Parts: sequence; C-alpha cells; structure tokens
Amino acid sequence: MLHYLIKRILMMALTLFLIITLTFFLMHAIPGGPFTSEKMLAPEIEAALNAKYGLDKPIWQQYLSYLQGIITFDLGPSFKYPGVRVNDLIREGLPVTAQTGFLAMLCVVALGIPLGIVAALHQNKWQDTTIMAIATMGVAIPSYVLATIALYLFALQWQLVPTFGLDSWQGYILPVLALSGFWLSFIARLSRSSLLEVLGQDYMVTARAKGLHPQTILFKHGMRNALIPIVTVLGPVVANLLTGSFVIEQIFALPGIGRHFVLSISNRDYTTIMGITIFYAAFLMLMILIVDLLYMVLDPRIKLGEKAQ
Amino acid sequence: MSSAPLLKVDNLTTHFHTSRGDVQAVRGVSFDVRPGEILGIVGESGSGKSITCLSILGLLKANGEVVEGSADFEGKLLTGLSDKQLRTIRGDDIAMIFQDPMTSLNPTLTVGEQLIETILAHKPVSRSEARKRALELFDLVKIPSAASRLDNYPHQFSGGMRQRVMIAMALTCDPKLLIADEPTTALDVTIQRQILLLLKDLQEELGMAIILITHDLGVIAEVADRILVMYGGMVMETGDVYDVFESPQHPYTTGLLHSIPDVRSHTKQRLTPIPGSPPDMLRPPEGCPFAPRCPHAIQQCLEAMPPLFERPNAKPTVHEARCWLHHEEAPKALQSIFDAPEVSNG
Ligand SMILES: Nc1ncnc2c1ncn2[C@@H]1O[C@H](COP(=O)(O)OP(=O)(O)OP(=O)(O)O)[C@@H](O)[C@H]1O
Ligand code: SF4
Ligand SMILES: [Mg+2]
Repeated sequence: MLHYLIKRILMMALTLFLIITLTFFLMHAIPGGPFTSEKMLAPEIEAALNAKYGLDKPIWQQYLSYLQGIITFDLGPSFKYPGVRVNDLIREGLPVTAQTGFLAMLCVVALGIPLGIVAALHQNKWQDTTIMAIATMGVAIPSYVLATIALYLFALQWQLVPTFGLDSWQGYILPVLALSGFWLSFIARLSRSSLLEVLGQDYMVTARAKGLHPQTILFKHGMRNALIPIVTVLGPVVANLLTGSFVIEQIFALPGIGRHFVLSISNRDYTTIMGITIFYAAFLMLMILIVDLLYMVLDPRIKLGEKAQ
Repeated sequence: MSSAPLLKVDNLTTHFHTSRGDVQAVRGVSFDVRPGEILGIVGESGSGKSITCLSILGLLKANGEVVEGSADFEGKLLTGLSDKQLRTIRGDDIAMIFQDPMTSLNPTLTVGEQLIETILAHKPVSRSEARKRALELFDLVKIPSAASRLDNYPHQFSGGMRQRVMIAMALTCDPKLLIADEPTTALDVTIQRQILLLLKDLQEELGMAIILITHDLGVIAEVADRILVMYGGMVMETGDVYDVFESPQHPYTTGLLHSIPDVRSHTKQRLTPIPGSPPDMLRPPEGCPFAPRCPHAIQQCLEAMPPLFERPNAKPTVHEARCWLHHEEAPKALQSIFDAPEVSNG
C-alpha cells in the first residue's frame, strides 16, 4: 500500500515535471514577448523590463530558475500586474472558484446519485421517465446555453436572483446550477444504469434469499457495487468543478481563477498561464489519485500496483 | 416416510407479465417435501424448476406473480405472506443456494461478512458470537484454515470453495429445508462430486430436507429419495427414485433416462437428447406439452391435458405420471411400453 502510494506520487511528480517543461518551452516558442503590445514601448524600457524579469538571460537559465521557484511553490511574478505574484492571483481567485465548485459538486453527488437510485427503483414508471427526460436534456444542453437562458429568465425577466456577483446567497444559485447541470444529469443517468445492472446480479438474489432487510440489500449490497463506476468518473468531475468553468465564470462575472486564466491568455501573461496550467494539472492528478484509492476501498478485486491474477 | 409434510406445494401457478404477454412459467405444480428427505427435481432448461422454488420463497423478479395455488410450510401459508414476514423465513427455516458460486456471492464484501450478516439478520447474537458461528460453519463445510479464510473476498476462492461458502451461508440458521438450485452445474466434474457428497453428508448430519434441482439424472440416482420430473412448467412424473428409474411411467422420463451422458466422456453435458424443442411458454399447447416430441402421441394427447395417473401397484410412495397412455381406454399396445423394464423408443 505505502509502496504503491510512493510509486504513484513519484509518477505524479514526473508527469508534472513533463507538463511544466512542455508549457514552459511552448510559451517561449510563441513569437512576441509579454511586453510586446499594441502601444509600442520604447526599446530601452522594454529592455529594462526584460532585464527585470530575467527575460534577457539564456532560455535554459530562465527554465532552471523557473523550476527552482516551483520547487518552493513559487509560480513567479505576473507579467501584467506589477508587483503581483501568480501565487497571489490563484490565492485570490481560488476561494470563489472552490466555493461555487464545491456547491456544484455537492449538487452532483447529493442530487445526482439519489435521483439515479429513484429512477432505477421505479424503472419505466413515471418517476423514472420524468427524471430521465430531464437528465437527458441536462446532458444535451451545453452549460453556457443553460447559463444564458437561466440568466435571462431568473435574473432579467423575473429578477429573482442577481445578474452577477456573489454578494448574497441568491447569487450562487445560477452559477452553481449552470456549473453542475451537465454533471448532475450525467451522474443521475450513470447511477441509474449502474444500479439497474447491479440489481440484476445473482448476488442480489442471494441477499434476498438470506432474509436481509431491503435497505441492507439496496445499500450494502446494491449501492456499494453500483458506486464503483460512479466513483471512476467522479474524480475528474470533482477536479473539473472545483477548478471552475472558465466560461461560467465569464458569464456570471465571477472573480475566480478561470477568469484570470482567460485574461492572462489575452494579456500574454506567460507566468500566469503556466502557473494556472500547472496548478490545474497538479489538482487533477491529486483527484485521480484519491479516486484510485477510494476505488480500492470499494472494490477489493482491484489490487492497485499488482498484476491481476 | 409417513410424517406430515414439511412443505406442501399445491397447484402452484406462476406467470411473468411481459410486453409480449404472460409467460406461463409454472402451470399448476403440486408436490410435498417431507422432513429430512431429498427431493430431486429434473427437467430441461426452461421447464420451470427454478421459478417453482423462487415462487415458494417469494423471490420472483418484479414482473413475476404467483397467480394461483399455494405453498404451505409447517402449516404457514407462504404464498400469502408479506415480504416482511417472508424475510423471517428466508435464510432461517428455508435456505437456498444457487447454480453459479462465481456470481452468487457479493464480490465487494468478505465472505465472513456475508455469513455474519445472515446470522445477525436472524439471531439476537453479538458480532463476535456471529463470527464464532461463522467459523464453525466453515469447519462444517470443510473449508481449510477457516479462521484466516473468513476475511478473504470471494475472488480469492476457487469455484468449489465458493460453493462451500454458499452452503455454509445457507446453513447459518440450521434450516429445515435447503433448496439447492443446480449446485454443481457450474463446477468441474471432480469438484461436482465432492460438493454433492458434502450436501448428502450434511443432510444426514443435520437432518434437514433438501430440494435438489439438477439436469443430471446421475446426481438424482446418487443422492435423492424421491424425484419430480418437470416439463413445460408442469410435473410430468413423480415417485420414489428407485421406482421411477426402474420403471418410468412417462415417455419424457424414458427419454431422459436414455440420454444419461456416457460416464467415460468427462464432459459437462446438458440434457437435450430428445429431438425437438420445449413449448413456447407464452402460448403453451392445450394438450400434453410433450406431444410434439413424443414418439407415442395419439390424437387425444393434442386435444386435452392429461391428468396425473397413479400407478396402481406402487409402494407406499405415490408414483404418478401425466400421460394419456395410462387411461383405461388408451390402446393396449401402447400401454405396454411401460411394462418392459427396458424401453426402446427410437
Ligand atoms: N423474469 C422473467 N420474465 C419472463 N420470463 C421468465 C422470467 N424468468 C424466467 N422466465 C421464464 O420462465 C420459464 C421457466 O424458467 P426457469 O428458470 O424456472 O427454468 P429452469 O427449469 O430453472 O431452467 P434451467 O435449467 O435453465 O435453470 C422459462 O421459460 C423462462 O424463460
Ligand atoms: S400424453 Fe401423449 S404426448 Fe403426452 S407423453 Fe403421453 S403419450 Fe406422449
Ligand atoms: Mg434454473
């Protein structure tokens, strides 16, 4: 177990190193520097700026000092906001993104899975048909369309919720809805089909033949097995939601990480682009590791790090 | 053999409601099981053996329904009980084991946990007492190094060992009746015999009754006291194993007996020896269900359902067969086919 964990963490470090290297050299392969912009800077000012940020040094030297920074969790200065470090940008945007993301994740898990269970237990009855009709729409409609329609109806037409910002709790409703809509529907559908498959298994008949309580049969025998495929997709979903959707943050004007990322691209704020990319990558890998560990708890047949018999 | 029956199944009729109509899986099956006896049920695939037993315990899928008849266990009418009431009987007085031990155990729980939860569902004991009982049961079914095996998962056991686990699980509450639905079919030939002998030993040791469903007449001959031959959701013949093997009273039974696989070819062989295929249970024939495949069929067989005819000279155990040839007006020439000890039909 420990052996496996160490191996996984080393693998993660290696992957992260490759991502860092790749993004670094890709950024530097793009023609034009961060200080080349529409309003031409005087050459001597540009040179001074380049010197200040170390951009005049040979590229391998820049690379090494960047790596050195990352080892101490320092993602370097922002090229666009003088005196601001990328760490600050992430620290500032993360609470907003994480809060909406966490609420969205809560919706997905606390609503999606139960809705799937209800649908499966009432297969082909009205409960199932209704839930599945809505869930099918949920996966078919893109989140930005959903966000725009919801914004128009609830914020502009009926003025039930604010159009932007998170100053009141009502402000969270639409972003969370837009953010979770797709995954909520997706997880509801997956939970339904997964549970239906499990309900048809022989060991469920055994559980009934043993005279167990129906709730024990459903949760201890049914859901425990049905959760396995759900947990598999939940990892990337959680990473996706907690890091926020760039588009949703844009539509609702939320000051999250996603917005900084979009802005940094148009600003050619190289260190910010790299910093956020690396942050996302690390977060995603961490989530996948957690999922794999959870997976092992749920399904004893999976012996991580060992060859299947 | 004269004690009151433990289980009395009377005119049991089970339908499955499907989009194509009602599947008449079981059509008026009646039989008794006496305390401590082994009743073997044989019949081709789809003849209604499993559904008969699942109906008794109320374990049918949602679209299945017992539309007529009853099952009575020690004076309690099982077919009228609620699921809650049935729960106290399932796994306690009546236990069941299934064909495929590979899929019948929950892959995500240790076998010990699956045993312990059964004990806890029926007995007011502590977890540690339940664990002790689970250990005893593992010893009883001869699982080596029981103590360490309790914490293993099903995938860490071989097929034969898993079936032992299933048997141990079924025995948790000293059932009076064990229903074993093809307990050896999915196993290797050598293991099949071990499991069968284990069941027989346990039956003698614990004194429970067993309903043993199988395709294999050899199995019946070896362990069963009485036999029930099913076809098309009905009982075709029933009687003492010795009587039925010695002088089968039904052409279908005769066909089955002639098809016992050659013992020298160690292959798993299913009973599909009689040419033709079983009836469509969505629209079963009005007459004898076996008529399209029966070498002796007469006009009467197609027109009306034969009743069960009791063999006059039988021993204390009733020997009955559902065949028109036993009617007094049936052609004498045809009746004589049941007289000879060895019958050739083909
Ligand atoms: N859920 C269901 N819906 C519709 N028909 C069903 C269902 N379950 C079983 N049946 C039908 O009921 C009939 C009897 O099935 P059963 O399982 O009792 O056969 P069996 O004698 O046990 O056969 P086998 O030897 O293959 O186990 C079959 O024709 C089968 O197709
Ligand atoms: S009743 Fe007729 S068809 Fe049916 S088994 Fe007897 S002889 Fe054959
Ligand atoms: Mg069966």
